[in-house]
Amino acid sequence: MNEAKKKKKLDSSIGVPNDDSISALAAFSMYLITGLFLGVGFWVARNKFSVDLVSDPPLTLFLLWSIEFPVVVIIFSLLRNAPEKCSCFRAIGRSILGLISGAFLNALGAISLGAPIGMQYLLRTVHWSFLMSVFTFVPATAVFGASWTDWHRVFASMKPSGNVEYMIFIPAYGAIIGGWFGAWPMPLDWERPWQEWPICVCYGAIGGYIVGQIVSLCAMFFLRKDEHLKVA
Amino acid sequence: METYPKRNNKLIPLAFLLIHSIAILIFTRGFLLTRTELPFHSTCSDASLSPCLSNNHSNSNHNQTKCWTKPVVDRVVIIVLDALRIDFLAPSAFFPEAKPWMDKLTVLQNLAFGNESSAKIFKAFADPPTTSLQRLKGLTTGGLPTFVDVGNSFGAPAIVEDNFINQLVLNGKRLVMMGDDTWTQLFPNQFQQSYPFPSFNVKDLDTVDNGCIEHLFPTLYKDDWDVLIAHFLGVDHAGHIFGVDSMPMINKLEQYNTVIERVVDILESQAGPGGVHENTMLIVMGDHGQTLNGDHGGGTAEEVETTMFVMSTKKHTTSVPPEFDTSSCKQDPDGKQMCISSIEQLDFAATLSALLGISFPFGSIGHVNPELYALGSSSFNLDNTKQPAVKEWMQSYVNVLCVNAWQVKRYIDVYSNSSVVGFSSDDMSRISDQYSAAEHHWSNSVKHLLMDNDGNEDSTNTSALKAQIAAYLKFFSSVAELARSKWTEFNLSLMITGFGILVISLILQSLAIFHGDNKPLAVGSGLSTGAAFTLFIVLVRACSFLSNSYILEEGKVANFLLATTGLIKLRYSVMRKAMRKEAFIFLAMVSVLRVSIDIGLTKQAATSQFMSSSPTWMLGLAPDHPALTYAIEIAPILSVAALICVLYIAVAKTHSEGMRKYVTVGSMLSYLLIALLWASESKIFGFDGFLQVIGGRNVIPQTVYVIGLVQLFLLASCHMFCSGKDKNWGSRTVALVSACSSPVMLLSGKQGSMLALAYLLAGYCIMRLEGVERRTKSDGQNSKLDPVCVVQWSLLSVCMFFASGHWCAFDGLRYGAAFVGFDEFVLIRQAILLTIETFGFSIILSVFGLPLLIPTHGEKRRQLFQMYMLYGVISATTVTATILCVTIHRRHLMVWGLFAPKFVFDVVGLILTDVLICLASAFCL
Repeated sequence: MNEAKKKKKLDSSIGVPNDDSISALAAFSMYLITGLFLGVGFWVARNKFSVDLVSDPPLTLFLLWSIEFPVVVIIFSLLRNAPEKCSCFRAIGRSILGLISGAFLNALGAISLGAPIGMQYLLRTVHWSFLMSVFTFVPATAVFGASWTDWHRVFASMKPSGNVEYMIFIPAYGAIIGGWFGAWPMPLDWERPWQEWPICVCYGAIGGYIVGQIVSLCAMFFLRKDEHLKVA
Repeated sequence: METYPKRNNKLIPLAFLLIHSIAILIFTRGFLLTRTELPFHSTCSDASLSPCLSNNHSNSNHNQTKCWTKPVVDRVVIIVLDALRIDFLAPSAFFPEAKPWMDKLTVLQNLAFGNESSAKIFKAFADPPTTSLQRLKGLTTGGLPTFVDVGNSFGAPAIVEDNFINQLVLNGKRLVMMGDDTWTQLFPNQFQQSYPFPSFNVKDLDTVDNGCIEHLFPTLYKDDWDVLIAHFLGVDHAGHIFGVDSMPMINKLEQYNTVIERVVDILESQAGPGGVHENTMLIVMGDHGQTLNGDHGGGTAEEVETTMFVMSTKKHTTSVPPEFDTSSCKQDPDGKQMCISSIEQLDFAATLSALLGISFPFGSIGHVNPELYALGSSSFNLDNTKQPAVKEWMQSYVNVLCVNAWQVKRYIDVYSNSSVVGFSSDDMSRISDQYSAAEHHWSNSVKHLLMDNDGNEDSTNTSALKAQIAAYLKFFSSVAELARSKWTEFNLSLMITGFGILVISLILQSLAIFHGDNKPLAVGSGLSTGAAFTLFIVLVRACSFLSNSYILEEGKVANFLLATTGLIKLRYSVMRKAMRKEAFIFLAMVSVLRVSIDIGLTKQAATSQFMSSSPTWMLGLAPDHPALTYAIEIAPILSVAALICVLYIAVAKTHSEGMRKYVTVGSMLSYLLIALLWASESKIFGFDGFLQVIGGRNVIPQTVYVIGLVQLFLLASCHMFCSGKDKNWGSRTVALVSACSSPVMLLSGKQGSMLALAYLLAGYCIMRLEGVERRTKSDGQNSKLDPVCVVQWSLLSVCMFFASGHWCAFDGLRYGAAFVGFDEFVLIRQAILLTIETFGFSIILSVFGLPLLIPTHGEKRRQLFQMYMLYGVISATTVTATILCVTIHRRHLMVWGLFAPKFVFDVVGLILTDVLICLASAFCL
């Protein structure tokens, strides 16, 4: 659905890998910023609204993604492909579209995996999928826009070129896989409040996202070096 | 490709069927303890066969009609408080720490420890399984009910074995029952009056109790009954919902205290000479205990230890000789001595029979408890001052024990002769030796002592009696020990042997997948991501069975894994830019199935004691909304129409000749009949009169069954007599699956057609997506097996089991399906229908439909064989995991409620899968 739309705009921009646009160190500092704002999100939720994921999941999730989203958008808009052709505002605009469509796809995936679908869970699912979208879709839309070939190359074929693409796809996969594992404790009969949908899935996704960031840093550090050596 | 012998391929599945059956048989012998119910009943005249009767005449002043023993109480009031823990009744001084729920039943404590009391508190030991139904059965039959009592009570729980209640009726006693309706299920005809209340709703703490109280007090004043049973459920329900340490539990106990206080007042007010309750015994007892969380069913001390309070309205003190006294005593804060005796629930039936003077239940293996018997024995010889009470009591007790021992020995003999799995000859000879020793002692000395009855104050006399009683008690304890080891203890070595055989067969079967493969499994890309992913999914599913929570939500787990495979396939299809539509349809079908599984889970939660109901699927639409009812009526018929279209296309497209085409057309006819049946059953089409026209609602189902049988017969004969020509198994499989599908759909009810449609679509997508992750050019034409599609197919079939409203418990069986098309009950026919309904989608259709997953038919026998082997391995792996889990959790409190039913379902499913794989590979290969 989403992909199909993008496929039509396939001719708009053919991705030109911008190899040396960002160093591993810069990527690390960007990760620090995103991590910091995740922390800020939790801090605001706890201290300003005195809620947390367990007591009020929808509000906390809303705070988390609405604080994280601008940071991610700004960072990745700076790294966008072909910056000369595409203004920063355009990148921000398309990442808002990406946020919504990504949230939709994430919600569909969660429901097919078994997320509860009652009315009382609707708000949680919506906010959770927005957060997941911030982790997975928003960076890619900010950088690639609707370039289907880039999407396909990075996410499906997993043939990234350049550090930015490592920064996009490894944490995104990390968040999804982390969320997948995070769902495992849900059926257990420990009767803890955090076993409710989507709390532990959310923790899993955040954990997976962070692990993905670390892995991508390692990938940048080691793999790129190897390639340079090979080239040399 | 055809280099390996063809015959082998048909024998290998058969070999695995055999190995699995042996392994499961061995494991089941160790785990599912079975006991054969004997149809025999005791009668009063039986006792003349025993060696004990002769001394009856010693009691010269007795002229009333007497059965096996002399009755010592006239009436009995039994108040059963479900799930009464020992610490609810026993004083807190007996426990290391006083808890809020202790010392609430103070009336009983005061009665038991007061001076001049003829009351006593017993610690009662129940035998597992500690579920109410099994316990009531155990209490009344005096036996040890097991999880599977092989008898002729299929479906209905009514007790057919001889039991205490039955003996009461035979002896002309009048029974009144009030409270838990389990009693009326167990004893449908025995009660003269009954006031049953539904025990179904665990959340309702008061209905049963209030109903009980309402009828209890008026009944106590009447004299038209001999035995009164009042079964209160509040404590059990409060435990299940709130746990032991909760206010509702304490409130319940306090309520019982006042109820029992009033009961005791009534009894004592009528206890004078000539009163209604001149010689009445009050028994307040629990049927089993409970854990602090309110669970019961297993064999932990908390569940097994319950309690019993017994009071006789006749004031007296009969002391039991210290040799037979089991009481343990503590000082209360005031320094008063408090004693609690102990009793086995096993002995309840025999003791009460002896007290009421009726014949003992045939299958009782308990013995008359000395202390409980002493409480009732006040009526002995109050006028006779020649002998001390203790001796008098011993004389009557030894006589009772004699009859008792003879009855137990008779049962053990008859049981070991008539049961399939009797006792070993060693055990039997040991028991016989003990019995004959006691018997010898009896006939030589004690019998004469009793006959003489000369009243000699002879110390040898007393010691002979004591020795005799001890000999009998030794015999009883070894019988009980033997019975327990046979009926309640697991045989761990058999279990491990069975498990080991299954693991070995699993390894062999995994190797068999590569049977005839030219290249061994170490081909670089052969054991690629697909195989690793398959292994991962299967192992995750197998490990999930190690936790009870995942077993409860097995449908959801399977659905989660299925959706995961779907997502992975989607990713590959996007990567290869092919079959994206199919991948999305597949995920959509998975979502449909998960909604269906959710609905099934809420049905399960309504009856399961382990699950709380959470109607997450409710979309805010009232269930009786007119649009919804309309949709519910019309959707199944539309899906049947869609299925007919699919079959038509299948017939039109494949160029199958002759017989198979007609078989498929026959299925279309069946579908049409099913649609007609459903249309005429619903009100909105105006077909109401149609069923009358064709002569009853059984005509159409029976026609469908007949068509199905004829189709199968045609297919089989066709395969036997005109084989060799047609190598194309595609049309064959379509014919076979369609022939099987119509009865399955009919039995599954209206959801059946919709599920079949979803199943068909999902299966089609799996088939299309087969091998999508391969590099299309390099090994697309290679006939390598794609393991992921088999695992998807197997997960899909598991999901279908749950989506069609089943779950792995016996209340998950839909007994109604056994009567589609038939009104009267014939065991084998109805059992076959029930099996088809239960495993129709999940096993029958999925095994027969497996060949359809190979997109291009032709000379790919090896691949088909591999698929069947892989499917078998996946099923066997889950069963092996279940068996391992059952072995680990055999002392778990949910073992009888959750693990054992799951085990039974899985094992039946595995055997059925193996049988069908044999048939299918004979048919297709």
